[in-house]
This record gives sequence, structure tokens and C-alpha cells, in this order.
Amino acid sequence: MKKKVSILSLVLLLLACVPGLTNEVQAQGTEQKEFRVGMEAGYAPFNWTQNTDESGAVPIDGDKSYAGGYDVEIAKRIADKLGRKLVIVKTEWDGLPPALQSGKIDAIIAGMSPTEERKKQIDFTDVYYESNLVMVTKADSEYAKAKSLDDFSGAKVTAQLNTFHYTVINQIPGVKMQEAMDNFPAMRVALESGTIDGYVSERPEGVTAESVNPKLKMIEFTAENGFQTSPDDTAVAIGMRKGDPDVAAINEILAGISKDERLKIMDEAIENQPASEEDTGSPILKILNQNGMLFLRGTGMTMFLALAGTILGGLIGLLVGVYRTIPISDKKSKRIFQKLFGWLLNVYVEVFRGTPMIVQSAVIYYGTALLFGFDLNRTAAALFIVSINTGAYMSEIVRGGIFAVDTGQFEAAQAIGMTHGQTMRKVVVPQVLRNILPATGNEFVINIKDTSVLSIISVTELFFQGKSAAGANYMFFQTYFIICVIYFVLTFSVTRILRLVEKKLDGPQDYVPIAVEEE
Amino acid sequence: MSEIINIEHLKKSFGQNEVLKDIDLMVDKGEVVTIIGSSGSGKSTLLRCINLLEKPNGGKIYYKDENVLAPNYNLPKYRTHLGMVFQQFNLFNNMNVLENCMTGQVTVLKKSREEAKKTALENLKKVGMERFIDAKPSQLSGGQKQRVAIGRALSMDPDVMLFDEPTSALDPEMVGEVLKTMKDLAHTGLTMIIVTHEMAFAKDVSDRVIFMDKGVIAETGTAEDIFVHPKEERTRQFLQRILNVSEE
Repeated sequence: MKKKVSILSLVLLLLACVPGLTNEVQAQGTEQKEFRVGMEAGYAPFNWTQNTDESGAVPIDGDKSYAGGYDVEIAKRIADKLGRKLVIVKTEWDGLPPALQSGKIDAIIAGMSPTEERKKQIDFTDVYYESNLVMVTKADSEYAKAKSLDDFSGAKVTAQLNTFHYTVINQIPGVKMQEAMDNFPAMRVALESGTIDGYVSERPEGVTAESVNPKLKMIEFTAENGFQTSPDDTAVAIGMRKGDPDVAAINEILAGISKDERLKIMDEAIENQPASEEDTGSPILKILNQNGMLFLRGTGMTMFLALAGTILGGLIGLLVGVYRTIPISDKKSKRIFQKLFGWLLNVYVEVFRGTPMIVQSAVIYYGTALLFGFDLNRTAAALFIVSINTGAYMSEIVRGGIFAVDTGQFEAAQAIGMTHGQTMRKVVVPQVLRNILPATGNEFVINIKDTSVLSIISVTELFFQGKSAAGANYMFFQTYFIICVIYFVLTFSVTRILRLVEKKLDGPQDYVPIAVEEE
Repeated sequence: MSEIINIEHLKKSFGQNEVLKDIDLMVDKGEVVTIIGSSGSGKSTLLRCINLLEKPNGGKIYYKDENVLAPNYNLPKYRTHLGMVFQQFNLFNNMNVLENCMTGQVTVLKKSREEAKKTALENLKKVGMERFIDAKPSQLSGGQKQRVAIGRALSMDPDVMLFDEPTSALDPEMVGEVLKTMKDLAHTGLTMIIVTHEMAFAKDVSDRVIFMDKGVIAETGTAEDIFVHPKEERTRQFLQRILNVSEE
């Protein structure tokens, strides 16, 4: 199962382990009658995202999509027995452990293996699925009838990069181990084209591969003839917060689900997963058919965050920029306050310009929950992050915009008796707004693209939706290509519209006042 | 006493550079005073000290017997009594001609828009710019801009008009229109303090001419005193230099 642990999630886990910080939040979760389950909803057949509640899918919290799959079926059974309401929280893989730690979810049911490393941070229930390793090969090849690892002697075999699949390859005697590959679609293509003779996979993926592409065949082994693996790798368990008393109850429930029933659930999941639908020609059309609404909603969220974030950020920038122009007061007490506040503003600008937005998102979203037990709404958190981030940049842009207004106009305004505030409001800010328009447009375009990092806190913007679609349909290139096109259309149209607005604002250069012609 | 501005022992330095050394100047109501002198003599600084665009380092400034440099003096209000015309016009680029003349009245004097518009139109007529009310500063020539700037200052209904080399940044053919506007104003009895290099103009309109040299008032007198019978050697030298240049 999935073993990759990103540095970020490690950092967040460390943060989560600061003693005494997490208790409060824990209590909150159990008091509610909800059973909040975190999953990627993009790791078929364990979990995926779909548009309808077909075949028992459950609504995703705060989104109009549904989650289906093996994990969802298991979660339904557990919630049912616990007498609690199941809520599926779609969460980025790396965000799962911190979300659990910070009490945003009660359990991780996401095809997660209970590795030693993870056990240090979170508890695991008993295993609720155990997969076995299989080989996928070509149906018309000499290996199609293989029964044991020995039969693959001399075959060119590979597996996915950074997985334990790859490390077991050398258990095959006389194997020609190939370079590891990034993803399954790539391996399927390599297999079809004959570059490799087979790849190591797990049963669910093998079944999928077989059903999607009849030219492929999955080879299953009996226990003694197959790969020797550790349960660390092949077992899948439910992640719970350290010391959660529900673990025992859930173990009991899991024990009540028989091996046969599990296999049945998995086979159904494999059958129902989005990728195994009938091939209807062009993969792009197929992806659009399946995920059109998903992408549209993602686009909406991206545009909302980018637009609202740019406007709010612009306002913040304007306030900060204008504040910095206020002349130092003659009164001492006021002067000290001014200096202090100015210093704080500098800290704000430097910190938010000097750190990546992806890190800010994680720290702010999970940090507020961990440290203060304050559960931010995801969209609100995202908007907050984009706004203050943009504000930090905009305050510097506004500073430049104010410099661009010549000092003569400041003096002229003072000379007719305007106060600093009046000068700013009537004379300077209107010109600054025009001056910063190109840079603001630029920020807007950057925000359209950069909101993609908010997927770290599971905001369902365009990139996140693309990722879950690709996770379900295994067509990474085609899916991301569509996402890429959507992003480009967005940024290109925005750039054009802003250019038009600028032109309109400036008016014609060669405008001759009508009054002159009367002369 | 009908003096409107009274300056005593005014001092101003920029760092080590002492620009104004002990200036005394009294300006009466209705008087037209021109300040001449070579560049760097401190005449612009003196003018800018009067409406406190520059903060003096010493001395006193009285406006109608009010101490302008007193700690809690209402500076914005004081400035509304002084109209300032700059060398670089300094029109508000985000406003058209009419708005330039209205904004101070509405924002600072709290007049209604109708009232402000009426006053603005009157003054734009005085400076001959009433046909350009919709134009943006970027669409005007230098001379036109300067006339609007004069109209803007007049619209605040000031007691004193300050002119800081109003024609120095203009193309020669535009100097005339601005000087004519100023001459017309001088004849209305408005108090004016003018820093200028236009000697013929100064001779023509001044009730009093002040010659400044190296931060002090070197000589003061009527236009005839200064231009025809200068007492000081440095005044004579300055005039000779200026007149020679303009004759060439």
C-alpha cells in the first residue's frame, strides 16, 4: 500500500506531537454524533470521487461530489455499528495524519498501511484488508500461464517507484530487473509495447488492468509460490488518534466482517470504480464526461479564491501602503505606537513574502486547530491565506504606485489645505489604483495558478479535482492536460480582460476637448 | 496696520547648507511683491516657508497677527488662505480641469458641489480656461496647465497668492499667456508674492521688488528703485547679467 511520507506531513506530525496540545481537540470530535472519516477519494478501488450516489457512494463533506470504494463500504459498516453518522472528509494524502491529529477527522480509512513509522504518530486498528502481490503480464505472452515466481525467470520486470513492489522483484530467480516507473498507466503502456514482460502489482490494480485492457493478464500466486511480504506492506488498517478509546470497538466491528465479505466488497468496488467503465473512444471525452462537473466546480472554486483573494489582498496592500506614508507624529506616545505598528507591518510583509504559500496554508489551517482547538472552515481558511499572502505582495506594489505619483501633487494638495488623509483619498489613491492595475492583474493570474497549492488543505479547487479524477481513472496525462488547458484559458482570458479595462480607463490619448473646436 | 504676512528673523537650512539667514519681510494687503535673485539665493525656499511646505529652523511667521508656527496652529486652514502656484503646475492628474478647481473647495472648505462648481467656473473664466473644463491635464499644453493651476488656487478664495517661478518651465511662446493672466490678477487688488525671472514683468506689476542674494534680502524698493537706481553693487551685477542675457 501507500508508503510515501512527505517531509511536510512529517513536520506537521512533529507539530502534532507537542505534548498537551491535542487533547482538547480530541474531546471535541467524540462528543459529536458524527464519525468523520478522512480519505483521498482518489485511490481507486479503495476510494474515489464520483458525481452521483450510485452504488452506495456517500456525499463528501462540503462538496457536491460523492465518495465510493472499498474504504467507504468499510466506513459505512463501522459508522452503522457505532451508531454514528458517517461523514466523508476528502483530504489530501499528506494532510491525512495532521487532519487526524488536529481533530478535523476521527479516522483515516484510506488504504493506509500500518507501518512502524506511522505507528509512532497514530494508532491503527486491526487490518481490514490484506492484499497480495500479483504480476501483470501480456495475455498472449509465454508468461501468461505462469504459476510461480520461478516461471518469470529471465523476464524483464519492473514496478512502481518508491513502493515495496519494486523491492520484492529480486525474489524472482534470474529476473531482469528494469528501472522503476512512475505510475501504472506508464507500466501498462510499457507492457503492451513489449519493453517489459511484466510488472508487480496488487490484486485490485491487477483486476482493474485486466478489465480495462483485455490484452493484459493478472497472474495470482499461491502463498508458497508467490512473493514473501511483510504485513507492514500489504495490510491496510484504520488510522486513529493515539489513545482513542474507539479502537477496541472498531476492531470488534472489523472482526465481524468475514474474509469472504471483504473479498466481495473489494470485487464490487473494482467493478464499480470509475476507471472500469466501458471505453467510449477518446479518453479526453471520457474524462470530461465523467468529471466535467467536478472540473467546473473546481474552476469555480479556483476563480472565487483567486478573485476574492486578489481583491481582499489588494485592499490589505492599499491599507498597508497608505499607512506607511503617514508622517511621523510630533507627539511621543503616538510616535512610539506608530513605530511599533509599522514594525509589525514590516514583519507581516516579510514573513508572508518570504515563505511558500503551501507551507503557510498547512501551518495556518492545521496550526489553528492544533494550538487553539479552532476548526477553520476550509474555504474560509483558503481565502484568508490567499488574501494575506497577496496583501503582502500588494503592499510593496502599492508602495511603488505611491512613489510613482510625483511629489508635486502631494505639495499642491497640501498647499490648498488638504490633510494627509484627504490628499491620499482624493489625489493619491485614485492614481495609485491606476498605477498598480497591471501588477494587480499579474497577481490575479498568479493567484489563479497558485491556489493549486491549497490542495494541501483539501480545498476542492481545480488542481485538487484534477488530482482526484486522475487518481480514479489512472489517465494522468490526459487528465492533467485538460486541467492545464482550463488553467490557461482562465489566465489568458483574465489577462485580455484586464488589458481592455486598462485601455478603457486611460481613455483615448488624442482626445481633443470639444470646447477647443468652438474657438 | 494692514499687513497680512509678517516674517521675522526667518532661518532655514538643509543640513549644513544655510539657505535663509535672518529674513525679515512684511507684506501689506493688496501689495504685489516680486522676489528676484540668482538661483540658489533662497527665494523659492522663502516662498515655500511662508505656507510651511518647508519647516523653518528659526524665526517667526505671522498671518494677520496669528503665530503660524505655534504648536497647535491649524495648518490646513491657514493654507487655504494662501494660494500657491508651482513651477511644475502640479495639477491633479486623476481629475479634469473642473475637478481640479473644485476638489479643494468641496474637501477642505466643505462647500456644496454646486457652489464649488460656480466658483470654479468663474475662476476658470478669469484665467481663460473655461472651455477646457472636461480636459485631463495630460491633454493640455504647459501654459494651459499653469493657467488652470492659477484657477485652482484662486478657487480657494485666498488672501494671498504665492507664485513660485510660474513661467520657468514653460516654452517661450507660452510665457506670455501666463504673465498676462497674472498681470490681470495684479490689477484686481489681490495680494501677490511672486518669485520670478521675468524682469520686464516684475518691473511692470510690482509695488515692491525684493532682491535676494545668498540667503539674505540684499535690497528692497519700488520697481524703479531696484531696476533703475539700484544702490547695491550685487544688485547691479545681477541685473546686468540678466538683462544682457535677455538682450542676446
